[in-house]
Amino acid sequence: MTKVVIDPITRIEGHLRITVEVENGKVKDAWNTCTLFRGFEIFMETVDPRDTWQYAQRICGVCPNPHALNSATAAERAMGVDTVTDNARLVRNMLDATQIGYDSILWFYILNAFDYVNVPNVLNAKTTDPELLGIQDTVKRIATSGQTNPFSNHYWDHPGYVLPPDVDLLLTKHYIQSIQAQQWANEACAVIAGKFPMIMNMAAGGITQLPSLEEVKYYLDRMALVKQFTEEVMWNDLIAVAGAFPELATFGQGCGNFLTWGLLEDKSQDPYKRVFPRGAIFDKQLKNEKCDPNDIKLYTKHSYYKDSMGAGQHPFDVGQKEIEFTQWPAIDGPDMPSGKYDWTRAARYPSPAGKDVPMEVGPLSEVLVAYVAGQKDVVAYVDGVLAAIGQTGHPEVLVSNLGRVAARVIKARVNCDKAAEWGNQLLANMKAGDYECFTEPNLMAEGEGASGYDAPRGALSHYCRTKDGKVAKYATVPASNWNLAPRDDNGVRGPVEEALVGTPVVDPTKPLELLRTVHTFDP
Amino acid sequence: MLETERSSPIYGLERRDFLKYCGWLATVIGLGQTGVAQVANAIEEATKLPVVVWSDFQECLGCTVALLQSTSPTPAQLILQQISLAYNEAAMAAAGFEAEKSFKDAFDEGTYWVIEGSVPSEMEEAFSVSGRSAQEILKEYYPKAKGVIAIGSCASFGNVQARTPNPTGAMGVGEWLRTKGGIPDAAVVNLPRCPGHGDDLVATLVYILVYGKLPELDAHARPLFLYDQLIHDNCERRGHFEAGEFVEKFGDEGSRKRWCLYKVGCKGPVTHAPCPINKWNGRVSWCVNSGPCSGCAEDNFWNDFSPLAAPVPNIPVPAIQGFSAQQIGVGLAAATGVGLGVHLVGQVATGRLFKGGPSENGAAKPKAKDAEGGEQS
Repeated sequence: MTKVVIDPITRIEGHLRITVEVENGKVKDAWNTCTLFRGFEIFMETVDPRDTWQYAQRICGVCPNPHALNSATAAERAMGVDTVTDNARLVRNMLDATQIGYDSILWFYILNAFDYVNVPNVLNAKTTDPELLGIQDTVKRIATSGQTNPFSNHYWDHPGYVLPPDVDLLLTKHYIQSIQAQQWANEACAVIAGKFPMIMNMAAGGITQLPSLEEVKYYLDRMALVKQFTEEVMWNDLIAVAGAFPELATFGQGCGNFLTWGLLEDKSQDPYKRVFPRGAIFDKQLKNEKCDPNDIKLYTKHSYYKDSMGAGQHPFDVGQKEIEFTQWPAIDGPDMPSGKYDWTRAARYPSPAGKDVPMEVGPLSEVLVAYVAGQKDVVAYVDGVLAAIGQTGHPEVLVSNLGRVAARVIKARVNCDKAAEWGNQLLANMKAGDYECFTEPNLMAEGEGASGYDAPRGALSHYCRTKDGKVAKYATVPASNWNLAPRDDNGVRGPVEEALVGTPVVDPTKPLELLRTVHTFDP
Repeated sequence: MLETERSSPIYGLERRDFLKYCGWLATVIGLGQTGVAQVANAIEEATKLPVVVWSDFQECLGCTVALLQSTSPTPAQLILQQISLAYNEAAMAAAGFEAEKSFKDAFDEGTYWVIEGSVPSEMEEAFSVSGRSAQEILKEYYPKAKGVIAIGSCASFGNVQARTPNPTGAMGVGEWLRTKGGIPDAAVVNLPRCPGHGDDLVATLVYILVYGKLPELDAHARPLFLYDQLIHDNCERRGHFEAGEFVEKFGDEGSRKRWCLYKVGCKGPVTHAPCPINKWNGRVSWCVNSGPCSGCAEDNFWNDFSPLAAPVPNIPVPAIQGFSAQQIGVGLAAATGVGLGVHLVGQVATGRLFKGGPSENGAAKPKAKDAEGGEQS
């Protein structure tokens, strides 16, 4: 039995420690510890409900747009605005489209690629292409500079790196191209929203202003480039990685329950009609159930908050105020984490059998629910991936690390296909004289609002209670409360913990496989 | 893209573009166009790249993401050719103990230290990396760093998590070092905005490279060459302010005409930052192009400027109070000095705006009181 601790888990958003127990070359048990606390639910009380979206964006600088959207939605509902104008819906979709485009590219290359691409191996490639020679030259200069650099001290000699040098070189080229590709998406965002990260055009009640004709045109041009990159570069790289690492389909299954609030709003503003519709799948049965953000239960027996004593609570009732920090789990020595070990709360959802169970959230959940719902764009891409890896008719193979990697790229492609539709619809609306984009909320209303809308990392919900022009109570359940949940009061592991169990570890001093599994969740 | 272009020290930049880039940097850091050669030499002669360690404390990663949106230089040019980025948790290959080794190695080599995120000064357990708190890391490594730069509003001032009641006691890195950290003369350059801007960081690093010292700072430890002007004074909507043309409600006719956003909460009149000049995301846009400025470069803005959706009090507004444009210019200059701070004390409980008075040599220096347009009350 060997204990392995990785802290920090790098190439993620946030601060995360993973502790695992390895036995006979496989993970026997696992614990995740989120090591950052800021207290948003505490300091968001008393703010002006028109401002909540500004605060909420700062929860995550990688995916601020869906935080802004969920927060504005929860606040506007509390203040009596149940639906926004169609133009506001279109612009909000356009903003999310840039978010998904950029984030998928960022994750696939910058956060994930080094788990498969061996950078030093680039030096062994034989090429005459001037551009590739330039990259090779740069890598060589960095590797031989004697200075510590982004590639230092990694276990590049791990046997899990199997790509031939010319493929490593090509993927390194795509890595560098991806930096520019994600910039295109964010330039499209900025032209409408002022900047990225931290957009400036959101409002409780809609958006601040409509983009001009020129700005929409610029948006469409930039998003066309992003679409091209996802189709011609990222899609092919996905197929290449899936082919070169077939073992990806064999571990990282996780808890088998999937939840999505849905994303990319339909004209009806019905969450079950979104491009990725709302739904939940339980126990790997490919069948969709309805779900509601108000039915979430949070457990805190193993989190640094007051114990939930076996009864899951609504997000409003599990405030961050009741902090009960005990101690960090030990890094050294044989002891495994026990008692409280995580700043994250354990989010659970009631199954049809009436039991609160862990739910995996993220692109895989979104793609599976859409696939089961027969969303034709999603079905086409899923079938394309299955055919490319020789698994036609077997969508169940996607319940694995491979599925999570593939789902992110599928989500990006569906999203990029739609971006132009929304932009053109907005132009058509304005041409027809419809400039409505904002509905004045009732600032002094006493009310409650909840919003469930998926972020790039998966299900995200915000809750806002207003009174006398102030926020009386605020709560948020981001994807990390689902995927990076610790054990609940019944000792059931969270999705990442569960996915780690069974992961093969060839060399406990070089736990590359653990990084791969954790990264597939884009924590 | 990287290319085999060898006539400039930065691959992918033609010599002409490299010199243009140096010209821009020379202007930004205050050398003017005559400093192009000096900047070019400094970059070309750096046989060893400046080593940079990038730490993340209480943050959201927004500053790292913002750096990835830089266009001059591109992140690839910056990270692969201009600096040696030894440690950045979002970008580096290594993880865990191996990552920790890169961190230590860099300090042994001699490194500049860029910090994103605040210090939870009253709750040490709110943050940990490699089993160590932000406080432990700062205490041990501050003395070893060649220079410390706080990127973004969290590392500068605490930012959003410092909003009342500030549950973790979040504060800026410099402030923590000088108070609880027990190093009263600790020097940290603050580059606040939310997120921090990649251009600010590059310009500051080049300044240090060229001059061999830290840039001159204002009362909030912000480089004067970047933060000596008000957003309001460089705003593309300023003409509408002077003409008394205001957006009254989001989406109204004034909003379609891109009129002034002061009445819907713009904090431009009290915010010092270069946003209208260097803009964002390849310079395609900036906040006020699409919505009101939230004042994110100022210390304590979440408290002092709250509610963000409401107008800043005590700004003399032409159409409302019937001042002439010329008088307004004078009035504003005064108001943004001591005057406004005094007035805001009555508006917000904290009254911390411009603590320590205005900068001694910034453009916000109050002008002599004008008979008519002086301090507004």
